[in-house]
Amino acid sequence: MIGAWLIPVTVLVPLLGAILLMTPAYRRSVRSVRVVTGAFVTATCLLVVGVAMLGEKEIELFELLPDIPVFFRSDKTAVWFAVLTVAMWMTSTLFSFEYMNHEKRETRYCIFSLLALAALMGVCFSGNLVTTYLFYEMMTLATFPLVMHEQTKESISAGITYLYYSLAGAFLGLIGVFFLYSFAEERSVTGGVISYAAGGFIRSDLSSNESLALTIAVFFMLIGLGSKVGMYPLHGWLPKAHPVAPAPASALLSGNITKMGILFVIRVVFFSVGPDFLRGTWAQYALLGLALLTVFLGSMLAFREKVFKKRLAYSTVSQTSYVLVGLYLLAPVAAMGAFLHVVFHSITKNLLFLVAGAIIYKTGRTKVAQMKGIGLIMPVTMICFTLGGLALVGIPPFSGFVSKWYLAAGALKTETGPMRFLVPVILIISALLTAGYLITMASDAFFVVEEHEGHEPEVKTGEGQESDAEKADEQESGEETFDVITADSAEKGKKEASPFMLIPLVVLAAGTLFFGLFPSLLTDWVTQILNSVF
Amino acid sequence: MDFVRNFPFFSILLPMISGPISSVMSGKRAKRLNFAVVTVSGLLSVAAFVYVLYTGEAYNYRMGAFPAPFGNEIRVGLLETMMASFFCFVMLLSIVGGYRFTVVDIPAEKQNLFYIMMNLLLSSLLALIYTNDMFTGYVFIEINTIAACGLIMIRGWGRNLLAATKYMIMSLLGSGLVLISLSILYGITGHLLMEPMHEAIVQIIEQRTYSEPLTVAVGLFCVGIAIKSALFPFHSWLPDAYGYSTCASSAILSSLVSKGYIFLLIKFFYRVIGMDIIHTIQVDDVLFVFGIAGMVFGSISAIQQTDVSRMIAFSSVAQIGYIYMGFGLNTEAGMIASIFHILAHAAGKSMLFISLNSLSDGTWEYANYRKLRGSAYRHRIASLGFAIGSLSMVGIPLLAGFTSKVYYAKAAFGVGSSPKMLIALVALAISTILNAMYFIGQLINIYTPIVTEPEPGTVKHSNVTRVAVFMFIAVNFVLGMGSEPVFRWIQTGLAQFM
Repeated sequence: MIGAWLIPVTVLVPLLGAILLMTPAYRRSVRSVRVVTGAFVTATCLLVVGVAMLGEKEIELFELLPDIPVFFRSDKTAVWFAVLTVAMWMTSTLFSFEYMNHEKRETRYCIFSLLALAALMGVCFSGNLVTTYLFYEMMTLATFPLVMHEQTKESISAGITYLYYSLAGAFLGLIGVFFLYSFAEERSVTGGVISYAAGGFIRSDLSSNESLALTIAVFFMLIGLGSKVGMYPLHGWLPKAHPVAPAPASALLSGNITKMGILFVIRVVFFSVGPDFLRGTWAQYALLGLALLTVFLGSMLAFREKVFKKRLAYSTVSQTSYVLVGLYLLAPVAAMGAFLHVVFHSITKNLLFLVAGAIIYKTGRTKVAQMKGIGLIMPVTMICFTLGGLALVGIPPFSGFVSKWYLAAGALKTETGPMRFLVPVILIISALLTAGYLITMASDAFFVVEEHEGHEPEVKTGEGQESDAEKADEQESGEETFDVITADSAEKGKKEASPFMLIPLVVLAAGTLFFGLFPSLLTDWVTQILNSVF
Repeated sequence: MDFVRNFPFFSILLPMISGPISSVMSGKRAKRLNFAVVTVSGLLSVAAFVYVLYTGEAYNYRMGAFPAPFGNEIRVGLLETMMASFFCFVMLLSIVGGYRFTVVDIPAEKQNLFYIMMNLLLSSLLALIYTNDMFTGYVFIEINTIAACGLIMIRGWGRNLLAATKYMIMSLLGSGLVLISLSILYGITGHLLMEPMHEAIVQIIEQRTYSEPLTVAVGLFCVGIAIKSALFPFHSWLPDAYGYSTCASSAILSSLVSKGYIFLLIKFFYRVIGMDIIHTIQVDDVLFVFGIAGMVFGSISAIQQTDVSRMIAFSSVAQIGYIYMGFGLNTEAGMIASIFHILAHAAGKSMLFISLNSLSDGTWEYANYRKLRGSAYRHRIASLGFAIGSLSMVGIPLLAGFTSKVYYAKAAFGVGSSPKMLIALVALAISTILNAMYFIGQLINIYTPIVTEPEPGTVKHSNVTRVAVFMFIAVNFVLGMGSEPVFRWIQTGLAQFM
């Protein structure tokens, strides 16, 4: 019984931390804010580990609506996501202590970061649809201040866009929730109240009209939940909102908040309607098509993007849809790939965004073109970046390879017509594009083209004036210009990030490699989840 | 124990008598009297509520024990007593929360006038809730109108006088229609008490005589009440009346006055006409259409406002649309959702007005969108109230607004396979997004940190206001998280109507 109470406590602890920071006593110095934040994130981390070790427990807090309680359950899926969340929160919080030196209002950042952690814990451990929805909305409310943290025009408009997309998506989700409840199995079967059940809780004797209605509802629900994940057509906010946040927040937004959308999708597809209901319907194909389209579009746009953090955001659009592809194939092997890719992408994307943050913090460079030779002045950071890039492309022995292997192999094993061939093809094209936008950056960072004097590229007359005008334009628009880094200038000033920033980077980079080498540590856990579902 | 049966009657009579008494008192004393009267009326209503809950059945109370043609009847059921208690509670908090502004806004010699109006308003609201006699209902509609009119114009600015005139004209039109409708109904049924009227109407429907006059009468009644409760498109009087009055007036007008009329309409539907007959003559479809239109257009108008108090006022139009939409669904679930929404809206809207007035220091110049920027840092409790109220209106879980939206959605599902279900769901979705657009935008605005200008400083922030806002926040959370007993009470109350 006491074990079950630990679950709501994981939500409560970060919430208390946030409340503590709101009181004047704890906001006197930056130091005390950091101590409180660090302590509460660590405490949450320990609690989650405790919950994970106690095994599956459930607890009903109070009735929110008649027959619909706020209900927590620590099943294997919940623990999977919760452990991932707290681990990423730890690294990102550690990173933020140094990074936030160059942002204002660190207290506010920490408050909302803790609130967001509380909401995420709620989403992870929620045991029925309404509880998930409740914390899902809380998560939106707690994270949009992180997006608008810098309070520039751009970030505020991005924050509001994020808010509207999320609320609209969540409301589509809510309508779906009503449908699911009205088609749920009789009370006597589910034992009182409706909660998640592996394989779904939908009545098995639906008439054709009813099942059509349910299919339509679930389709729109999944489209709506796709807004958090960044699935086409509700992906528009993501490349706008993720880059404008402070780097540690971008990392969490891209690495973890999107994953909560995926968790909700898993809860709907595998634990509410059940995979058997959707398999072979038009909804499955439509969703698969949309997810594949997003995979392709995302990598294409990332490839063309010039700003580093935006490039990473587009990459998120594409990579999270890998997971959705894996889920919508509705087959065990592909779902295994999806579950693994959740973790691997989260680690990798956190790493990449933190690298971007470290570069911005140390040098102020934001564009891809300005990164040439950056590896010479920040070697460790850029080595971590390279490892992350390799993992995201999916080159063995890095972690991305494992998940993509399962995805492609799983797709070929399903009976989804042309889709089963299309999936591996798109995956490979997207991987190539990923290599194009990340690995080229990594190589540019280390291998600087030596330019000797007198060998400057010739400038044709006529075009020269134009480029001057362009330069003037750039200066007028207030953009900073950076010197090109050469081997000589790199000798003079190494600007390696401080330990506070480097430790998270190195840990995450080691993680990508470690899980790539020993994926069986994770696959056993996922196999248990999938065995219960399929 | 049976003495409690008299309490509802006392709770109407007490404010009615204390109104005239206030006229010979100074402002301060009138305030104390009013405070005491509202509290006592509230306690009496609560006692009656507990009594009805305990005995489990409603009763008719004859004043002076005279039988029907001469005497007058009120009806005391679970729903009535619950509403009365809640109304008294909200009124008390609004008066307390707006007290600071009442002192500043209203000239000293007119202070007692304000409390006369408050007492009369309370009396008429309670009478509208309890009445079992349609003509008494009409009489108190008029009293309510006059009291409300006084509350609108008591601030004495040009804008208020204009708003009060508008309100007067529209309201009199509304009550005129109600009166005509009642005369027709009296003509064809020969009764004014609800039960005999209902029996006569059932007979009329069976014999298929007078069915046209009946339809006309019901239509007129609905239109009359719709005008008075500002259903779209009869809402033109509302933004000025709510937006520019003094704090307590705005809070009470927006949360209670229109709801009193709506409650009478519910009783009219259930106890006089009968919901099945309402369905036969298709009044529900008409209300449904206008309710949906109100939900959408009210919010669209709210988005266009630069004056935040007008914005909140327009949001009331949308919320009234919700309530009528619930009537339009014509199911028990829809009606329960609407009654719950009356509570949720009252708790949220009065808090919004009080918080806004605290943020803007009670002046309409400072209620402007730009002037409010960063005001959250001047008055933290009020801004918290504003935030909770806004989020409740948008429909964020744990708050009252979300719960009522869930009830609406459930009710929409209960309609079964009819286009109403889809329309209602889509309208709910659109309205949620629109609500989010202006409320969340406003929240961001007031929480934007700027270099603080010197405070306007006409009104000192008081602990009393803070307490009131805190109480409102608590009510919002209670309604949002513990709606189950309220739901059951409403259900039983409606069952007692039959």
